[in-house]
Amino acid sequence: MRVLTLLFLSILSFLAYSAQDEYEFANAERAATFKALTQELRCPKCQNQNIADSDAIVAKDLRDKVLVLVNEGKSKQEVIDYMIDRYGYFVHYQPPVTPATIVLWVLPVLIVIIGFGFIVFRQKKASKKQKWNAQDEEKLAQLIKQYQRQEHNS
Amino acid sequence: MNKKLLGFIPFLIFIFLCVFLYQGLFGNPRELQTGRIGQTMPSFVLPDLMDESKQWRDTDLKGDVYLLNVWGTWCPTCIAELGYLTELRERGVRIIGLYYEQAYDPDFGDQFDINALRNEVQNMLDRAGNPYQFNILDLHRTLALDLGVSGAPETFLVDANGTILLHHIGDINPRVWRAKFAPVMQELSE
Repeated sequence: MRVLTLLFLSILSFLAYSAQDEYEFANAERAATFKALTQELRCPKCQNQNIADSDAIVAKDLRDKVLVLVNEGKSKQEVIDYMIDRYGYFVHYQPPVTPATIVLWVLPVLIVIIGFGFIVFRQKKASKKQKWNAQDEEKLAQLIKQYQRQEHNS
Repeated sequence: MNKKLLGFIPFLIFIFLCVFLYQGLFGNPRELQTGRIGQTMPSFVLPDLMDESKQWRDTDLKGDVYLLNVWGTWCPTCIAELGYLTELRERGVRIIGLYYEQAYDPDFGDQFDINALRNEVQNMLDRAGNPYQFNILDLHRTLALDLGVSGAPETFLVDANGTILLHHIGDINPRVWRAKFAPVMQELSE
């Protein structure tokens, strides 16, 4: 357990270290925007890394550009639009809702709805199948009586 | 009957998944839809690689269809495509180089000397072939960023009005030329 804690702490400290940088900002809000952006923008060269993570030269250029734009007072969305304008939707980790990507939003909801629909449908069908008539009713009453009597006797 | 049909559904899902994943094996993740296609060339003022007193502007490039080839002597694939690009030049394709330098950046190179770079470029072009009308030096990679360039080699096809029609990431070889560039060039010449 102690080893695990140690491991966890060392990973945590590494994360804290990597988040440290040499950039300077006018205020904390801009620093936060910059940090969020470098984590959300994707490196076009090392495709499964964000630009904060990647060592590719294009990632550095994008970081520098984000820094300049943020220090100019651009909002987060403005910077994202600036990058999408140049590098396409690919550069942002949050894909927009377009006809091509709508399936990403619709499909999970559809699967849940169809799944629940299926369960409800099956239960309704199963309950309909059981026929219940006077004879069954009589048998049931008899059984209840029988067990009640047994309980009395014991 | 109904039960049998239902039993097929997992099988169908399995087949669908197989097809989906199988075609994913052959997809090229480098083939990106970048943002600049269909837009006009971003405006810029950049020096010539060989002569800093000469400045190139986006407006200077207008008037003719051209390829803008992003390259650098540090990039082996760029060297490899010089031969074929030279062949294209001989066939009458106008090719302009955008020199993508990374040694200028202290994080990516130790020393930068423009004269050494010019020598290196000249030697390389003498040896491997020179496809370029001229080279634009983008020392800070500002035009590269405006164009959505992620590395080298990359090539843009720009029409006479300065509209970017194609953005190809990777080298240009006969196969790429036939499949991607030739049809558009054909359309432009008609």
